[in-house]
Amino acid sequence: MLSRVAASFYWLSRYIERSDGILRMLKINYNASQDSVQEFTWAPVLRIFSGHDEDLEAKLESNSRAVLKYMITDKTNPNSILTIITLARENARSVQEHIPKDLWQCLNEYYHTVKATNFDVRVKREDPIGLLDELIKQVMLYYGTAEITMERGQSRSFMNIGKYLERAIQSIDILDVKFGPINNNPNLLTDITYWKYLLLSIGGYELYLKTYRDGLEAQNVIEQVILNNDFPRSVIYSVNNIQRYFDRLRNNSNANTYREISFDIGKLQSNIKYSSVKSISEVGLHQFLTLVKDDLYNIGNSLNEYYFANS
Amino acid sequence: MYNLQHFEKYSKISGVWDEMYNEDSTIRAHYEKVIEYLSKESPDDLSKKEDLAKRLFMTQGITFTVYNSGEGIEKIFPFDIIPRIITSAEWAFVEKGIKQRLTALNLFLKDIYHNQFIIKDGIVPIDIIYSCPHFLREMYQLNVPYDIYVHIAGIDLIRDNDGTFYVLEDNLRTPSGVSYMLENREITKRLFPDLIPNCGVRSVIEYPSILYKNLMSLSPRQISNPTIVLLSPGIYNSAYFEHTTLARLMGVELVEGRDLVVSNHIVYMKTTTGLQQVDVIYRRVDDEFLDPLVFNPSSILGVAGIMGAYRKGNVAIVNAIGNGVADDKATYIYVPDMIRYYLNEEPLLKNVPTHRLSNKDEREYVFANIDKMVVKKTNESGGYGMLMGHAASEKEIEDYKREILKDPRNFIAQPTISLSAAPCYIQGSLQPRRIDLRPYALCGPDGIEIVPGGLTRVALKEGSLVVNSSQGGGSKDTWVLS
Repeated sequence: MLSRVAASFYWLSRYIERSDGILRMLKINYNASQDSVQEFTWAPVLRIFSGHDEDLEAKLESNSRAVLKYMITDKTNPNSILTIITLARENARSVQEHIPKDLWQCLNEYYHTVKATNFDVRVKREDPIGLLDELIKQVMLYYGTAEITMERGQSRSFMNIGKYLERAIQSIDILDVKFGPINNNPNLLTDITYWKYLLLSIGGYELYLKTYRDGLEAQNVIEQVILNNDFPRSVIYSVNNIQRYFDRLRNNSNANTYREISFDIGKLQSNIKYSSVKSISEVGLHQFLTLVKDDLYNIGNSLNEYYFANS
Repeated sequence: MYNLQHFEKYSKISGVWDEMYNEDSTIRAHYEKVIEYLSKESPDDLSKKEDLAKRLFMTQGITFTVYNSGEGIEKIFPFDIIPRIITSAEWAFVEKGIKQRLTALNLFLKDIYHNQFIIKDGIVPIDIIYSCPHFLREMYQLNVPYDIYVHIAGIDLIRDNDGTFYVLEDNLRTPSGVSYMLENREITKRLFPDLIPNCGVRSVIEYPSILYKNLMSLSPRQISNPTIVLLSPGIYNSAYFEHTTLARLMGVELVEGRDLVVSNHIVYMKTTTGLQQVDVIYRRVDDEFLDPLVFNPSSILGVAGIMGAYRKGNVAIVNAIGNGVADDKATYIYVPDMIRYYLNEEPLLKNVPTHRLSNKDEREYVFANIDKMVVKKTNESGGYGMLMGHAASEKEIEDYKREILKDPRNFIAQPTISLSAAPCYIQGSLQPRRIDLRPYALCGPDGIEIVPGGLTRVALKEGSLVVNSSQGGGSKDTWVLS
């Protein structure tokens, strides 16, 4: 497979996964902003997706509609849904002859929905939850279509590696950002709503309730988001899948480069697998997450160099 | 006699060949079956078909993108639902004429890049060749496989008021539009079920397989599965849709310049398993941009070193580099002479009479009769940089004359040919609009093959004579009857 084509599949998938993460996060946070029991702030969301622009955080953090506009339709924001879906579509377009027509049409529809001239106005006026649901549905449609139409070959492997890499990074970012303020405000450690919204934003609340009977506790949240093999948004689940789909490239790879990346993935996988909440606390959560994220970035860079021929 | 609502408004343009009507306003025999079919449809049905056509083009992504202020706007190439019909006798003549012309043009290119007998024998003046920007010294004494330079030609034909075919332009570099020939037929199948077989329309579907077979045969390595690629400038090119379509239909890899790399005079593509040698490149990138080491050094569309690999014979490039010298509008004047010189035959397809403006007498004649002339730049295409004498204002003419005097070699003039007209479905009724015809000829080691059909371009604006898509033109399905 052409390196550029592989790279397009990988990025197409990363962008779609990112848009999915953003949409869910926006939905839950908007919901939280309507629950005015405690001081709600958009700062963590903005921190993850605005590249640590503090002025912008200060300006937008308490204005929900402005945040939604910035995160959905703002062309100047490199992480707005509009920018992301445009990039996803450009990637798909450059591999048009390699993807099923159905999938292409799906992407097109998602793109045209966000791109519609009145969408800006809708973000301002309509019920944001309904609007976000409409977009989330487009992503779901994309995933469903990809699942039943993509050939089970290299292209799908590259797509899935991109998808799970993006997902792992997102879960890490969310966890990291949410635990950041705790040093200054230890009361948050026992604040139930605080953890509830974190779990909701990555779709892990129900699983949490089934797994832990003793209420919401920070330690358990860490365990679920990093170490739970059955939680589809957990770091370990994502890394396992990166390993799984990378393994399928074995026969279509140059042996040396395959071994190198496979080694890095395996090392990261073991590192997480043989960690516990206790050992993570010993290293420090922030430190641990930063190391894992660096490893993920390294894997991305190696793919870029060895498989996508961009050095 | 047919009494139809949609025909009421159809008034023949006087002094123009009408593809559907005879001189005496009876319907030409080859249009009868279509007219009969249309007579059963109400204007409403036809409008519905028109909408269906638009929708099919849009949902299938048969679009080109116009980039404006950083945003892509998707457009469809306007399509007229009424097919243009060519009789088998007309086609037989056109086919023969194009084969003759293309044979001579290939011989000319070989000659001009080797011994230049045609210059030495005084048939083509030397200054025409050496002043042509597309005459590439890099091609001198370079042998190409089977001596074929033009593998794909899109020769533009028009019909004068007596129905005679004329060659308007020889497109021998990277002629485009063939995907529309194929897609228009697919759409017409949906619009007029059963009509195509009933009329005995010849199929165009073989085009991709003939092209593929020819590309295979050019591989420098004698192996069973040579690597063939289609080199595209990328998704921002307006013909990108065509590139993906052809790549898909032939099952070859679509690549961009950045996917290729040259090492030790061999072209490779970068794949996930490492470098893979490329044998044949069907390129849709112009000569100037092909190799930054040899041509435009700022080009990022091409591949550094590709010209070296080509010279070594390690890769075949389709069409050959440097073909522009043969389809230059100044060289065009000498094509009939080439046919006589190389083939010892009389040209079948006529040239439009053409004046070289570098010749003082001809220039003065053209300036005196400019209202009956079309003046063109010799190395422009797509309908750009043209002056239509009959429609231009006084000032436009004066400005243009000044341009000409600056560099007369770059201009030619032709008398305004009144293109033939064909019925088009416009705003609920049939109306005559001017058309041309571009058949696609494929030249391989086994000879020249032309799929029966081509692209009929139509000037959709009333009274317009310019069919180029950049100037408000559209297209029609083109039927050749068996």
